[in-house]
Amino acid sequence: MSAEPEEFYVGYEPRMPAATRRFVGRVVLGLLAAAAVLAWAVPALHRPYALARSDFRDVREFEGVLVAEPVPHLVVARPGETGARAFSRYVLVGRGKSGPKLDLEALAGKPVRLKGSLIYRDGQTLLAVKGAEPMEQPIDAAALAGGESLGRFTLRGEIVDSKCFLGTMRPGHSKVHRGCAVRCIAGGVPPALLVRDVEGRDLVLLLVAPDGSAVNERVLDYVADPVEIEGEVVRLDDLLVLKADPAALRRI
Amino acid sequence: MSVSYKAVQWNRQKLVYDAVLLAALGTYLVGFHQLAPRLDPNVEPMNLRMRAFGSAAFLLLHVVLSIGPLCRIDRRFLPLLYNRRHMGVVLCGLALYHADLALTWYHAYGNLEPVVSLFVSNPAVGSVARFPFEWLGAGALAILVLMAATSHDFWLANLTAPTWKALHMGVYAAYALLVGHVALGALQTNTHPGLTAGVVLGALWILGVHLVAAHRERAADTPATAGADGWVEVCAVGEIPEDRARVVFAGGERIAVFRYDGRLSALSAVCQHQNGPLGEGRIVDGLVTCPWHGFQYRPDCGAAPEPFTEKLPTFDLALRQGRVWVNPRPHPPGTPVEPLPVPGAPGGEAA
Ligand code: HEM
Ligand code: FES
Repeated sequence: MSAEPEEFYVGYEPRMPAATRRFVGRVVLGLLAAAAVLAWAVPALHRPYALARSDFRDVREFEGVLVAEPVPHLVVARPGETGARAFSRYVLVGRGKSGPKLDLEALAGKPVRLKGSLIYRDGQTLLAVKGAEPMEQPIDAAALAGGESLGRFTLRGEIVDSKCFLGTMRPGHSKVHRGCAVRCIAGGVPPALLVRDVEGRDLVLLLVAPDGSAVNERVLDYVADPVEIEGEVVRLDDLLVLKADPAALRRI
Repeated sequence: MSVSYKAVQWNRQKLVYDAVLLAALGTYLVGFHQLAPRLDPNVEPMNLRMRAFGSAAFLLLHVVLSIGPLCRIDRRFLPLLYNRRHMGVVLCGLALYHADLALTWYHAYGNLEPVVSLFVSNPAVGSVARFPFEWLGAGALAILVLMAATSHDFWLANLTAPTWKALHMGVYAAYALLVGHVALGALQTNTHPGLTAGVVLGALWILGVHLVAAHRERAADTPATAGADGWVEVCAVGEIPEDRARVVFAGGERIAVFRYDGRLSALSAVCQHQNGPLGEGRIVDGLVTCPWHGFQYRPDCGAAPEPFTEKLPTFDLALRQGRVWVNPRPHPPGTPVEPLPVPGAPGGEAA
């Protein structure tokens, strides 16, 4: 071992001996190559982001009838459409992680001009409200109709906050998003049950109590977990609502 | 070798070191931000940044944790260890930015302070699948910040080496917490097996290099058999090369016997700076020099030259029939011991 011509190099010496320099150079190149490969591999192995958007900088005006039940929403007539497609219903949420800041008592059931931005995913749309003022305009009574029951179902899915899932956050559901969804639902954003239909499409059903009241505080502990719940599915034009007792929620 | 309270000392090697570190990080972070939108046109920029910085910090932690054992396995890795402290500080910065993004994105603009929200929105500690993985990240972050804040040799001197070392062993706790943070968080949403395999391989690598390094050290640490008087045989005089040492493990301690100028001296082989392997050091300018960061000690008394204050335990040596023997009972650190002349060596006769 005494013949071993090993180099002795301490980091502060300005010149690295040749063999050490070659070795360290190879290690550095290896690290740079690993950084490049991982920069590709790590994002490539993540779940794809959803096609969903929040145009929160693009505040526009919308006109329609404000309805408070089962969740605050704006009913907008679709020009030239009748029957099941006569109205679009935009669920209303606030800015940030909150429900809409509106004087619902004063405005519910009335025509309003509302300022807000769009949040949308797969043909479903939400409005993040900045403000609303009443308008003088006749109301189409059909806008206030109660919806059509599609029957009772036992559904499996995940409780999400409608605002994030429909476009504010990506990912807007599952474990990494859980804390955010809890904060949003606690802040008044309507909770929804996300279920996969037989064709593998995502369906979003707004979740309310059987009497139509909000269940936000009662579902917080189940957010983002796989759950099963039984209830009545009601169609309100292009909204689906699940009226169910949160006490019947079961983790699966 | 600084134990005085100088500000960070810069030299060309540290600048090169940091340049390489930043180049590797830049490659990862810029690459991540450029490639991800090409792989998936729907990427969410804030979330992307959160993931890029979190994963950069986690990957860098693998490098930080590998360097120590790799240096024990192959000394040529030592230049990577020399300035490892900067890696730790950079890692801490990446982690802080990741945590800040996560806190703002997922917890701000709600009805609670973000930090409060972080700790109350999910209290499901009793469940693996629902576990609040963010808490594990926060625990790791606290350790990383504490370590980065105390990484300067100022703290090493003021906290005393054993406390400082115990504190910095916390990096392993941080790593364990982060494996949990990722496994119970990101991997539950991103279920691609490749991602899980990556985390598992990373953990196996860390475990592997530590086991290999420990195995080598244990092999070197086979206790020498003591003679009747308690002294321990080291080797034949001729087996110690000039300006280098032979190490024996005796009395529960590693003892380095150095040969220089035709003389022999025995010191504890554990560097007072960060437990570096002094027995692998050399005599440079008449001083025992640690291979890790270059701390130096006088061979005949174990004390660092003025103005430094580190002191190593010293040991008595004897020659018996051409072989070197050491008494494993240490003298108090810094005690001068008359060097043992090597018979026939020029300096030895003079001494
Ligand atoms: C208060 C402290 C922390 C919080 C609140 C936090 C939060 C989060 C969140 C919410 C995610 C999921 C992001 C997503 O996919 O949408 C995440 C992922 C991650 N975090 Fe943290 N984190 C913290 C500390 C740390 C630290 C200290 C590190 C590493 C040093 C770290 C490394 C990671 C990694 C590697 C991921 C996975 C990234 C990916 O999916 O590629 N985190 N963290
Ligand atoms: S000089 Fe740092 S461990 Fe010896």
